[in-house]
Amino acid sequence: MLAGEWLSGGAGRKTTWGFLDDGAKKDVRRALLKAVAIPGYQVPYGSREMPLARGWGTGGIQITLSLLSPEDVVKVIDQGCDGSVNAVNIKKFYERVGGVETTTDTREATLIQTRHRIPEERMDAGQILVLQVPYPEALREVEPSEANTRRMHAEADYARMWLHLYEDVVHYGEIRLAYRYPCTVNGRHVMDPSPIPRWDVPKLHMADTLFLFGAGREHRIYAVPPHTRVEPLEFEDHKFRVEDFHGKSCSRCGATDTFLDEILGPDGTRTFYCSDTGYCDKRRR
Amino acid sequence: MEPLLRAHGITRRYGRGCDRCLESTGAEAGTNRCPHCGTVWACRDVSLELRAEEALGIVGESGSGKSTLVKLLHFDDEASSGFLELSRLPSLREVPELHAEGADWSRNVLVLDRYRQRRVRDASMGIVYQHPHLGLRMGVSAGGNVAERLLSAGWRSIGNMRARASKLLERTEIPLERMDEPPRKFSGGMQQRVQIAKALSGDPPILLLDEVTTGLDLSVQARVLDMIRSLREELRLSMLVVSHDLGVINLLCQRTMVMKNGQVVESGLTDQILQDPQHGYTQLLVASQLQ
Repeated sequence: MLAGEWLSGGAGRKTTWGFLDDGAKKDVRRALLKAVAIPGYQVPYGSREMPLARGWGTGGIQITLSLLSPEDVVKVIDQGCDGSVNAVNIKKFYERVGGVETTTDTREATLIQTRHRIPEERMDAGQILVLQVPYPEALREVEPSEANTRRMHAEADYARMWLHLYEDVVHYGEIRLAYRYPCTVNGRHVMDPSPIPRWDVPKLHMADTLFLFGAGREHRIYAVPPHTRVEPLEFEDHKFRVEDFHGKSCSRCGATDTFLDEILGPDGTRTFYCSDTGYCDKRRR
Repeated sequence: MEPLLRAHGITRRYGRGCDRCLESTGAEAGTNRCPHCGTVWACRDVSLELRAEEALGIVGESGSGKSTLVKLLHFDDEASSGFLELSRLPSLREVPELHAEGADWSRNVLVLDRYRQRRVRDASMGIVYQHPHLGLRMGVSAGGNVAERLLSAGWRSIGNMRARASKLLERTEIPLERMDEPPRKFSGGMQQRVQIAKALSGDPPILLLDEVTTGLDLSVQARVLDMIRSLREELRLSMLVVSHDLGVINLLCQRTMVMKNGQVVESGLTDQILQDPQHGYTQLLVASQLQ
């Protein structure tokens, strides 16, 4: 007997379509609506137990499951890669509980769930990107108390976040954040864009796509609706910069305009590959 | 001199309060804790007026409500009741809906939302606490500490903020080569001077000083007081000086208020109060002064 059958009271009877029960889906959708209405604001919700450890993408999975319809074509990415164990397993999970089609092609997908990357190809208005978030609170670095960070968001009191960046520039001549770069959304809330590299941050700005962020362990959902301003925190005399891959290219497809992973060979040689494997494969075809 | 700030009936109580609180607490009763209901009246019905370029002193023993009063004025704590109004300071022009059309005084800023209270505070006040760790972030550089208020007020140029911070730190005699070191590494007197620089960063017309020299040795005290005096002249500051030390009050303030058990028991010109104290408690205070 499958676990799902056992849970729903015996062989032959199936769990609700798409794994989550209707109450849970309603709860998540309600949080999503609020999140879209207040861009960048973290909406608390009742995160469910998933057949996966918390911190492994349960926030993203709950959002995907509550949005899923039988016509959807789903793509799952883990650090840019379609083929990692985590991505493959989550994809199989959706195939099994929803019977949906899956793909590795960004353009074909209607719903993309991702961890730590945004696809290189620009997504359109019909698509939704669901990001898995380990730490939803952008201010956690500077303020350990949840009560205080909520108050700081409520009052738009972001001086300490700015001070953190100021100190970095003063001491190191550079802001030392390679990922989770804080952004102001719609001129109001400072948001953690999840651990995407700086490279991906500009893709959030004035996009055609809806971005949804789910933190299962931390019980938070937030969103960036299409055509919303997403501005990385930067100083007038110290601007935000993305990673510099000047003079480097992908060893598989030759791309020079993508985010590259650096692979160190046993003999110390450095090779660069596209981090977005779906895009890399497509370019080779 | 025209008044900048006026407060009326400022009260902070901890507890529910009861019918007999009024007669059972205060200076006459000799306690600020009601024996019937246990409510503590940290600050009761305090009124004051601070004029331009004036220093007003508040003296009293420990627990008399001096520091609570300053915290309430600086929005560090929430008043139970009372009015605090500010005149039309040029720096407050940016805060929306603070002054009614044609009115000389602002709305009661004690009941503003916290976002606007912060804007009012950034635009009009600086504070120096008794303990540097209350006013400074010990792990953040001295320059960063000064910049924090500027960042809060919307400054976004590192070059401009550093220029402003070095000017203030130089003025408060912090060696500029130590600007990027955290105050944790500084002596007590230096920490206090960084606090002063931070308090002055937003160019506020009002400076609140809460026991600034307590805990410093005498020669350092004298230097800090000297600096405060010359800064007051130079920047034409209005100051509210809280101290239990009559010497400090005598040196800095033209007018003085004496507090006991949360209430003001006497107020007037500093000279008058020191030479001819009227209230029994003030007499005791003046008599206990070391000569």
